[in-house]
Amino acid sequence: MTFEDTEEIGQLRQRIRELINSELPPEFLRRFVVDEQWQETATRFCKRLARDRLLTFAWPQEYGGAGASIWEQTALREEFWAHHEPRGAQYMGVNWVGPAIMHFGTPEQQHQHLPAIAAGDEVWCQGFSEPDAGSDLASMKLSAVRQPDGRFVANGQKIWTSYAGFANWCFLTARTSTGTRKQQGITVFLVPMDRAGISVRPIDSIMGPNHLNEVFFDDVILEPEEILGELDMGWAVVELVLKHERVGIARYARSDKILGDLWKVVQAADGAGSEEQRAGVAHGLVQARIARLLAYRTLVSSQKDGSPPQPSVARIVSTLLDLQVSELAMDSVGAAALDPDPESWHGGWAEDAWRYAQSATIASGTTEIQRLLASRALVNGA
Amino acid sequence: MERPWPDEAVDFQAAVEGALSRLGGVELTRRVEAEPSLRDGELRDALADLGLLDLDVHGSPVEAAAAARAMLAAGAVVCPWPLVQHLAVPTALRDRIDRVYLVDRDVRRAEHLDLAGRSVALDLVSGEVRELTALGGLSHAPLDPFGVTCELGAVAADELNGALGVHVVLAAFWVLGALGRARDLAVAYAKERRQFGTRIADFGGIQWHLSDLAVAHDGLWELASFSLGRMIDDRLLAADVLALQLTTAESAQAVMRHSHQVLGAIGLCEEHDVTLMNRHIQPLVRRPCGTSRILGLLVEEISRSGFDSLYPVAATAAA
Repeated sequence: MTFEDTEEIGQLRQRIRELINSELPPEFLRRFVVDEQWQETATRFCKRLARDRLLTFAWPQEYGGAGASIWEQTALREEFWAHHEPRGAQYMGVNWVGPAIMHFGTPEQQHQHLPAIAAGDEVWCQGFSEPDAGSDLASMKLSAVRQPDGRFVANGQKIWTSYAGFANWCFLTARTSTGTRKQQGITVFLVPMDRAGISVRPIDSIMGPNHLNEVFFDDVILEPEEILGELDMGWAVVELVLKHERVGIARYARSDKILGDLWKVVQAADGAGSEEQRAGVAHGLVQARIARLLAYRTLVSSQKDGSPPQPSVARIVSTLLDLQVSELAMDSVGAAALDPDPESWHGGWAEDAWRYAQSATIASGTTEIQRLLASRALVNGA
Repeated sequence: MERPWPDEAVDFQAAVEGALSRLGGVELTRRVEAEPSLRDGELRDALADLGLLDLDVHGSPVEAAAAARAMLAAGAVVCPWPLVQHLAVPTALRDRIDRVYLVDRDVRRAEHLDLAGRSVALDLVSGEVRELTALGGLSHAPLDPFGVTCELGAVAADELNGALGVHVVLAAFWVLGALGRARDLAVAYAKERRQFGTRIADFGGIQWHLSDLAVAHDGLWELASFSLGRMIDDRLLAADVLALQLTTAESAQAVMRHSHQVLGAIGLCEEHDVTLMNRHIQPLVRRPCGTSRILGLLVEEISRSGFDSLYPVAATAAA
C-alpha cells in the first residue's frame, strides 16, 4: 500500500552519511567530475566500504556480500547517488556486473570476478552501444568470429563507454552469428581491457572529460571460457543487465537533495528568489516524493514475482525530474550559476548538475524507449 | 518498508463495485443526472446496505483502507453521492453533521447540497468550521451537474479534527477510480481502433499519450497510498495534504487530456463514458481552489513547517 523508512533504515542512512562526510573531501561531493585524481579517491572509498561489506551490501553472503534486504540496498543506493556516487566506476561492477555473473557465470568466473569486485579491486566498463546501435541495441555489429582452435577474434567498435579509460575489465557484447531475429546470435564476453588489440579514445562531452569513450577492437583474441552464459544467447544476459541498470540509479535522491539546497537559495533572508522559483522548488519536492514512491513500487514488484522489475514509469519520472531540477537550479542561482568555482557564494554546483542532467533522459535507455515500454506494458497488460 | 493493503479493504472494494454495477454502473450516473431524485432512493439504500456510510475512517486503520478502496469503485462510475464529504465527518459527529465541504475563504456553490441533512464548511487554511446553507436547486451546469448555490453561515462549535486530511485522501482515491477507468477505456480503444491499416496503439504519438497517462495515474496512486498510510498513522502533515491535493488536480488533468486525445472525436461525445467522467470529477478536483492557489499554500506551508523528504527541508519562516 505504501512505503516508509523503518528505524533501522534511518540508522543505516545516518551511518552512510557519516562515512561519506568523514571519508570524502567536500569538493568531491559537489560534482560528478571524472578524472584520475577523483578516481583514486573513489577507489580508496570503495576499499573502505569493502572492509565493512558495504560495497557489495546487496550481494548474498556466499559471494562476499552482506545479504542486505532490498530496502537496505535501496537506502544505500539513494545515499550514494545523492552524494555524487562516491563509488565511481565501481557502481557498475556492484550493481549489475556482479549480479549478472552470479546469475549466468560458471563457478570459475564467479570465483575469479566476484571476490575481486567485492574487494573493490576490479573496475568494469560496459561494451554495449555502437555507433549504429544505441537505443536499437540488438543491431550491434562488433563481430567475434570463431576460429578452428575454438577461440574467437573480435573486430569492431563500441562507443559512449563510461570509465573505459579506468576499467580493467569489459562486459562485452559481440555478434557471434546471425539468427532470424537480431536478438539472436549475440554473445557476452568478460574481457580484460589490457588484451592486445583493444584501444580506448576518450570523447570530450558536456559532462566533462573521461565520462565517455570509444573502444576499438582490432583482431582481439577472446577465449571460450570468457563467454558469460551461452554462446549466441547473450540477449538474455543483456536484458537482465538493463533491468538492473535502469532501476539501479536513484536519480530522485540527488534531485531531492538539490531541491533542499535550492530551497535555502530561494528563501534567502535577503529576499532572493521569486515566488515562481519558490513554487518551482515546492513542486519539485512533490515530484521527487512521487519519483521515489514509484521507484519503490518497482522494487516491490520485482520482489513479488521474482523477476527484475519493469521500471519504465519510474524511470521516466525520475529522469525528467533530474532535468527539471537542474534547470530550476540554474534559474534560481541566476547568471552566477555559470561560474563553476566551488569558492563562489553558490558553491558552483548548479552548472555541474545541469551539465550532468543533460544525459539523464538519454543514458541507459532514452526516454523515448521508456515511453515505448511503458505504453507496451499498458497495451499488452505486462 | 512496504505496507500491504488489508484483505478486508480489497474485498470491500469488490463488494462496492458489484453493488454499483448492479445499479447500472456509469449508466446510473447518467440516469441520476437526468433525474436527481434517484440519489435518495436506490443509490442511498445500496450505499447504506454496504455499510459504506458507516465506515470509521478516522478511527480504524482497516476501515480507512476500506474507504479508500471503496472510493476507487465509486470514482470508476463517478458515483453521484457526496461520499467523500460524508466520510470526512468523524463518526462521533455524524449524528449532527452529515457532510463537510472544504472551502477557501468563501464558497459560492457546493455539490449535492440539495440532499437532506446538515452540511458544514471547513476552511482549508484557517480550519474554521461554519454552517453551509443551500440557497437554491441544482445548477445542472455541465462541469458541476450537482452544484447548488450556497452561502456560509455562523461559525459552528464543532471541531472537525482530521477531516481535512480524510477529505483530501479520499477525494484522491475517488478521482483515481475515475482516472483508472478512463485509462482502461483509452487503452482498449487504442488496441481496437484501426487507421491507415494498423491499430492506433502502434503509432508512436499514441504510445506517448499512453505512457504519459500511465505516469500521471501511477504517480497519483503512489502518493495517495503514501498519504493514506500517513493518515492512518496520524502522521499526515499539512504539507502532505497540499502535495496530494496538487497532484490529484494535476494528474486528473493529465490523464483525462491524454485519454481524450487517444479516443479522438468519439471521446468528446456525451454518450462516451470518458466525457461523462471528465465532467463529473471536476467539482472534486477544482474545489475549493485551483492548482496555483494550492501551490502558493504549499510554499507557505514549507516555509512555516518544512517538508519531509529524504533530505528534509527545514522551516525557514519566522515563527
